[in-house]
Amino acid sequence: MIFNLRNTIILFSLVTIILMGSLTIYSVTSIDVNYFLRFLLINIIVILAVALLFNQINLNRILSFGWILFMGNILLVLSVEIFGNEINGSKRWLDFGFLSLQPSEFMKITFALFVIQYLRFYSFQFTRFRTLFLLTILFLSALPIIVQPDLGTGLVYILMGLMFLFICGVNRIYFIGMAIFAVMLSPIIYSFGLTTYQKGRIISWFSSDQDLSEKWNILQSEISIGSGGLAGEGFLNSKQNEFNFLPEADTDFIFSIYAEQFGFLGVLILLIMLACFIGLTTLLSMTEKRLTSDLSPYYIGTYCTLVIGFSFLLNILMVSGMIPVVGLPLPFFTKGGSSLLCFSIMLGLIFTSRGFLR
Amino acid sequence: MFLSILALVGTRFFYLQIIKGSELKELREQNINAFEYIYPKRGRILSRDGVVLAEDRKIFSLATDLDQKPSEVSIEILSNLFPKKIKLEDLKEKVSNSLTYRRSEVILEKITQEDLAKYLVRGSELRGFSVIEGYEREYNDHPSIFHVLGHMGYINSTDVRYFSPRIDNYDAKLWRKVGKSGIERVYENELQGQHGKKYFQRNARGDRRVTTDISPFQEGKELYISIDFQAQKLAYELMDERKGSVVVIDLNDFSIPVAISTPSISANDLRDISSAQYQDLLNDSSRPLFNRAFMGLYPPASTIKPLLTVFALNNGYTDWNETIFDDGFFRFEEEERVFNAWREGGHGLTDLRKALVESSNPFFMNLSVKYEKDLFVEFLKSSSFGSKLCEDCYPHQFSPLIDDSWKYKNFGKELYKGDFINLGVGQGYMLTTPLHLSLISGILAKKGNYQLPFMVTKKNNSLTLAENLTEDDWSKLNESLIDVIYSPNGTGYRINAGDLMLAGKSGTAQVVDINSREEYDEVRGNELLRDHAIFIGYAPHDNPRYSIAVIVENGESGGRVAGPIAKKVLEELLDDI
Repeated sequence: MIFNLRNTIILFSLVTIILMGSLTIYSVTSIDVNYFLRFLLINIIVILAVALLFNQINLNRILSFGWILFMGNILLVLSVEIFGNEINGSKRWLDFGFLSLQPSEFMKITFALFVIQYLRFYSFQFTRFRTLFLLTILFLSALPIIVQPDLGTGLVYILMGLMFLFICGVNRIYFIGMAIFAVMLSPIIYSFGLTTYQKGRIISWFSSDQDLSEKWNILQSEISIGSGGLAGEGFLNSKQNEFNFLPEADTDFIFSIYAEQFGFLGVLILLIMLACFIGLTTLLSMTEKRLTSDLSPYYIGTYCTLVIGFSFLLNILMVSGMIPVVGLPLPFFTKGGSSLLCFSIMLGLIFTSRGFLR
Repeated sequence: MFLSILALVGTRFFYLQIIKGSELKELREQNINAFEYIYPKRGRILSRDGVVLAEDRKIFSLATDLDQKPSEVSIEILSNLFPKKIKLEDLKEKVSNSLTYRRSEVILEKITQEDLAKYLVRGSELRGFSVIEGYEREYNDHPSIFHVLGHMGYINSTDVRYFSPRIDNYDAKLWRKVGKSGIERVYENELQGQHGKKYFQRNARGDRRVTTDISPFQEGKELYISIDFQAQKLAYELMDERKGSVVVIDLNDFSIPVAISTPSISANDLRDISSAQYQDLLNDSSRPLFNRAFMGLYPPASTIKPLLTVFALNNGYTDWNETIFDDGFFRFEEEERVFNAWREGGHGLTDLRKALVESSNPFFMNLSVKYEKDLFVEFLKSSSFGSKLCEDCYPHQFSPLIDDSWKYKNFGKELYKGDFINLGVGQGYMLTTPLHLSLISGILAKKGNYQLPFMVTKKNNSLTLAENLTEDDWSKLNESLIDVIYSPNGTGYRINAGDLMLAGKSGTAQVVDINSREEYDEVRGNELLRDHAIFIGYAPHDNPRYSIAVIVENGESGGRVAGPIAKKVLEELLDDI
């Protein structure tokens, strides 16, 4: 590992984000130091383990299993329908006893691996058929997630997949076409394609009726954020959490609790850290791109960086009431094995692909 | 793109945390901090002779517990424990109401010892429910006091309008019982005391609470009312199930020691009945819930004659020497109408005194054609017609003031001469409440100087009437009213008043308009069409202490039926002294 200024800043910002996440999950879930240490340790161990493991395994070897991993993942998602636990009217989780996993979270990674394997075979040259083939695979593989029903994860999966295809160099015309098509299709999807629960979430975002429970969730979230003020209420002082007014405080809405405890300054620091991490990692990949003939590590690395960045921002936009509540995890904050594992693997992939730890 | 979203997020958080920060923080405090009311014991109500008429008794009720959320299992167990008293759907609805509005919902009010034991055995399994202490109004069981005391009921919009703006803390009264009538209503604010508040912090599910502060409560005031329970009870029993009313006024201070309306019910019965039974009571033709004493309007008939004597003397329409020949008829030349008097053949040569003692209608009809409309209305007004008599009496009806506007409203015409012939003998449009009749009797006893009656709060309001009357006029009037009782010709001679020193006037009010004795005998068969018996009087006549009015509906004879009741009630009251 090379400890130059850039790498130090990247590491420092990453560690800060993980530490903040661990502290917040500790303050939300219980006043139990063991839990906090365990969460922090799992975070660090998984990230290091995945990074080191992937560093040892040649990235090329992982990529050669791309389509198998992708198919396996789809099968897991489908198996949730049969073996899964039902929470909030949707089946998303597979229970492994010590750990319950949400296979749909990993689709973001395995799809990328599959695409890389496919494109590498054709030296990253796009034809109309290949583009349409990849797009079809993307949309078809999103279907089992959406019918779970887990609209949020499904939509994010599609968005990230499209982003990856964009990074890989698919012609812009396709994206513009799809955007126009989506806008035209949206009323039909709303009328026939959504469950009442999903409609409720969307309606609550547009309507001003405070009685809707979803609107209540957002209001409580905004109350948490606003109560933080400039400097915050202080660590472990979130009253919204203490008196259970914020639903899902340990998962989707955890950032509101962070904002209540650390205030606007805390939010600002975290955003700067995020910007440093994303910005510098992307910068790093630019230099990397120039140094290597194989583009796959570059694509994978950039993709993982942006997935982490956008997941972060989308979740924050959601809890501050700027986009509908769709159940998105906040990287390194949200309690839950799947997202922890998923983002750790992405970090590992970033480090491996960049030769950062070499 | 990434940076622009980042900037957007930053702006949003600046808006939420810096600009709207304090506003949102206020909302958070509202989330967490709440309070509940602590209700004090309602004040007792006692009669002037020290009998407890109403007091709060401690009761236990089964209710939802705000500190714990009831589980499905405990709801099931509870409904199985009391299968007859609790329906599962009702219980579920109450539990969900309790969670939605964060208030304790009563499941079983006034739980019996047996049920309490049943509950306590399974108590540990019944999470989310608890036995709470409360108060229930317990009344003296005698029906005579129901109308005066009134009753309690859950507050509704009518009550809010009645109490507004005097209502103390409207919020605190929600879901509570308030006085619906009588003393309970008029003195609601005094009786209820000052509620306390218990401040606490609670979480969103309502299953964890921390008490932060308690503001103390103040018990309701004890209220002594002017009712004399012994006399009140006696009066009710003397009415012997007949419909009617007795009202007595203490002439020392114009307080009301007796005010009964029959038939009546026990106030406790009204508290416990179902809505179907309540509907039955409302539809009962004898109207037990109707307070005849303050609300019933009856034609005063001959009992108005002494008051009109005062009016006639005051304005010089007659004197004690003028005589007419009473042949049993009064001929009204202007309209060519003939009015029958009650006694066939009439009273012969009649002066004012004889007209009062023997109750001659032609004499007073003869006088009434001389009445000037304005003076008559003015006199009625100063005798408290058309105005509220008593601030403590609720509900309360005033005797209508018969003037042009009243007649326009009801008949579309103005008053004409012929109307005065009926008004002059207390029939026709003239209507008075028993309370007002008792007051009229008091006015006569106190020689025109009177005050408005009360039960709790005396108001200094000396009123005077007929200032032109001399002392001689008043004593002659007094003597006439004594003769009504003690002279063998008097209509009240059969009362056998003995040494009570009673003075008074009887009356018989027609329920239907009839012209002859024969016609009346025909309608007599129907008890409800028989005449009302009325008696007003005061005693002792040399230094009057009490005035009384007795009305027995369909009792036929004021002297024979109403008079003896008045005698016994006054005897009971004067015995105390």
